[in-house]
Amino acid sequence: MSDEQNVTGGQRNITGETGVMPPDTRLDVEDPPEAIPGPKAKRHIGRYVLVVLMCFLLLLPFVPLIFWSISHRWFFPTIIPDELSDRAWSYILSDRSGVVEGLLNSLVIAILVAVLAAAIGLSGGRALGLYRFRGKRIVELVLLAPVIVPAIAVSMGIQVMFIRYGLADTIPGVVLVHLIPTIPYVVLVLGAVFANYDTSYEEQARVLGANPLRVFLHVTFPAVLPGLIVAAFFAFLISWSEYIMTLLIGGGIVVTLPLLLFDFVGSDPSVAAALSLFFIAPAIVLMVLTSRYLSGDQSAVGGIGRA
Amino acid sequence: MSVTVELVELTKIYKGTTDPSVDGISMTIEKGQLVAMLGPSGCGKTTTMKMLAGLLDPTAGDVRFDGESVIDIPAEKRQVAMVFQKPLLFPHMSIGDNVAFGLRMRGVDKKTRKKRVSEMMELVRLPGMEERRPGQLSGGQEQRISLARALITEPEILLLDEPLSQLDANLRIEMRDLIRQIQAELGITSVFVTHDQEEAVMLADRIALMLAGRIQQDGLPQDFYEQPATQAVARFFGTKNFVPGTVSGMSFESVLGTLQLGHEHPAGEGLLVIRQEAIEIGPGENSFEATVQRTMYLGTHVRVWATAGDVELQFTVPPGVRHEGEQTITLRLPMAQTWVIPVEDRIL
Amino acid sequence: MGGLVLGFLQSLDYMPLIGKNDFSLDAYVAIFNDRVFWASLWLSLRIAFISTAISIVLAVGTALLIYHTERGRRVTTFIYQFNLPIPHIVGAVAMLFLLAQGGLLSRIAFALGLTDSPGDFPAMTNDRGAVGIIAEYVWKETIFIGVVVLAALARGVGDYEDLARTLGAGRWKRFWHVILPLITPAIVSTSVIVFAFGFGAFEVPFLLGQPFPSALPVLAYNAFTDVDLNARSQAMAISMVIAVITAVAVLAYTWLSRRYVRSES
Repeated sequence: MSDEQNVTGGQRNITGETGVMPPDTRLDVEDPPEAIPGPKAKRHIGRYVLVVLMCFLLLLPFVPLIFWSISHRWFFPTIIPDELSDRAWSYILSDRSGVVEGLLNSLVIAILVAVLAAAIGLSGGRALGLYRFRGKRIVELVLLAPVIVPAIAVSMGIQVMFIRYGLADTIPGVVLVHLIPTIPYVVLVLGAVFANYDTSYEEQARVLGANPLRVFLHVTFPAVLPGLIVAAFFAFLISWSEYIMTLLIGGGIVVTLPLLLFDFVGSDPSVAAALSLFFIAPAIVLMVLTSRYLSGDQSAVGGIGRA
Repeated sequence: MSVTVELVELTKIYKGTTDPSVDGISMTIEKGQLVAMLGPSGCGKTTTMKMLAGLLDPTAGDVRFDGESVIDIPAEKRQVAMVFQKPLLFPHMSIGDNVAFGLRMRGVDKKTRKKRVSEMMELVRLPGMEERRPGQLSGGQEQRISLARALITEPEILLLDEPLSQLDANLRIEMRDLIRQIQAELGITSVFVTHDQEEAVMLADRIALMLAGRIQQDGLPQDFYEQPATQAVARFFGTKNFVPGTVSGMSFESVLGTLQLGHEHPAGEGLLVIRQEAIEIGPGENSFEATVQRTMYLGTHVRVWATAGDVELQFTVPPGVRHEGEQTITLRLPMAQTWVIPVEDRIL
Repeated sequence: MGGLVLGFLQSLDYMPLIGKNDFSLDAYVAIFNDRVFWASLWLSLRIAFISTAISIVLAVGTALLIYHTERGRRVTTFIYQFNLPIPHIVGAVAMLFLLAQGGLLSRIAFALGLTDSPGDFPAMTNDRGAVGIIAEYVWKETIFIGVVVLAALARGVGDYEDLARTLGAGRWKRFWHVILPLITPAIVSTSVIVFAFGFGAFEVPFLLGQPFPSALPVLAYNAFTDVDLNARSQAMAISMVIAVITAVAVLAYTWLSRRYVRSES
């Protein structure tokens, strides 16, 4: 057991720029600062109460969602649904609701966006992380722009052009417009990964006789894979959750799950609740998977607040 | 103003582990002494320091300043100042504000703070740097500021946790001198943690060698070389020659023959400890035969490997000496340089 | 960026596709003269400021809380991060079910005897005060900021705290003079994003807000989808205003944070 405290240094502090964290940042500290000696029990109890309260408040919004999704009748003033049923769930899983189509569209678009953004982000991130060039700061700022500038402004402006080029109301069009908010995140995350990356490995491989393609496949790619997965996950999530852009560019013709959700909210709360839960399931599964993969532990993937 | 420090059966077992990090250590540090806690990484010395400072609670045992227990006093109320391995200068403050921090926490007024700050900066030989920012200083300078920051509060005890390990060799020597000087001038009881035995020997009035959570030996620097308590201590200080044999009376029977001992040792089995510098070439007191295996020229001395019976010996001689091939030579070991330690089942 | 430029052009009434080939500022004049526009602008600013401020305070508090927790840390951290992948639209739906006058909290209040009917419960959705909107933003953004602050804490604040303790700093002083300055960069960078989002995002105010005054992005959307094509350029103009204000906010933040970091003493 090491005597000295482990302080992870040397990671470029990208957190300071976008709130996105490099993949191997861990949240749990092995030896948290000990409490001041004294009336320990009292202090600890107060703290635990607060922690429990916080967890309660964080999870509270899910409660009505779950209740609504399994209810048949749930009128004021009952706190628990009067009648339970699986009506909402069987409805959304059936053909009549259009959920299947929406799910497919959402999936296809989000996966395409994730893959494309990751691919573009690889070269962009590499450039950003490894090279110094004039105007780098400006490029960084420009990249940051889509994160800040609201999606609605951009998509409204771009719609005309998309109509002109026949991209409006199509899936490719939606994919393209989703790339706008996602590429910056991916580039910045991969930029941080590459900043910590040592190109000597590649030089070593070249010297040992590998051509550029093999160098990439066997050296570069595996090394940045964790960061790549995180970045792709962000991109997926942003696209998966996107509403206004899909609405404006897809014109209501390209139907994704968020669009369906909005439709149901006013009319049928049960279905809306069930659809919401259905909708967040893949995101949660993915998050658990990626964090397990990265560190075998509960590490935060951060920066998903935009979704 | 400074105090005596006592550690009494101090133990620390971290949560979630069963092996103690610090296992019932006891020692006394006299007023104004500079004691080195020496040991390899992971031996528990930093943990002990933190318990001294009040940053960690011990699992068992006591810490006493001038005879009074301080276990229930939190770190911020103990008059202990600490310098860490990294300077840890607050990045959002100027150098002057960094140094003044401790006084500011005590509510000392601005004018007095300013005066004391410049006094401290003079003490660490960095006058006039108050307006600079941490990023603008070199590693060595930052550590000196860290020292100034610790001393400004006029602590009763000064703790230094491997403060020089991040500096390069020349700087280290300079800093050692500075620390020694300042400590002597101010007369503060100090504990200095290091893994470098040269550093410990140079700086400290007394050394406590820690291995695996326990104090192996506690005494004057030369004792560790000349009279190590255990094999682990001897090895830590670089001894390589251990000859098994038997003590009877004032002599030692082994494959080297019968050698006369310079000190009393309990009769029975033992290991004769021979320092590299102790062996001389030529007949005389306590002489024995050995076969040279190889030599290596090292500029200031020559290192020789030789065997006597089934025992391999390593020793150093002045450069002029040279031998070729496998030669049998006579070596001698002065009586005063002999020391026997008990045989142990398990070496740490 | 191209989208913005196009939007800008259209806001100047330059729309060759439908035959308008001249620039004009009519759209801007129209919106600046419109009371509705100013009401929406003020509402959006309010929402952004209030939700960001509350989120920062809660984020720092909860992050410190978790940082000092020893037992059950894994579970707590997991629950804490849980709403990160949840989209705002789902959050909005959940808040609707929770906070509406017919929602869960209202029913609990009724059961406790605090209210006599749904109408007695304060209106928090589709309300003037935009309480529901702010609540949803706070729910999500506290975690967003909190996670980053927690990472900054885990990364080395412990040593500085130890040091400050040996120099005699008690808990509050340590927080104010050591911890807070060290986590400020993390706070600043995340809250810029939070503010910008709170100001310019469409989905949540659309679901949880009142028709009048509606948040600025909703106003823009309504103008955009208006049957009258002339409203298009006004929609663009509103978007431009959103973009400009967002950009100004970002610039102000970065300028302020540079100054703050330099001169703190």
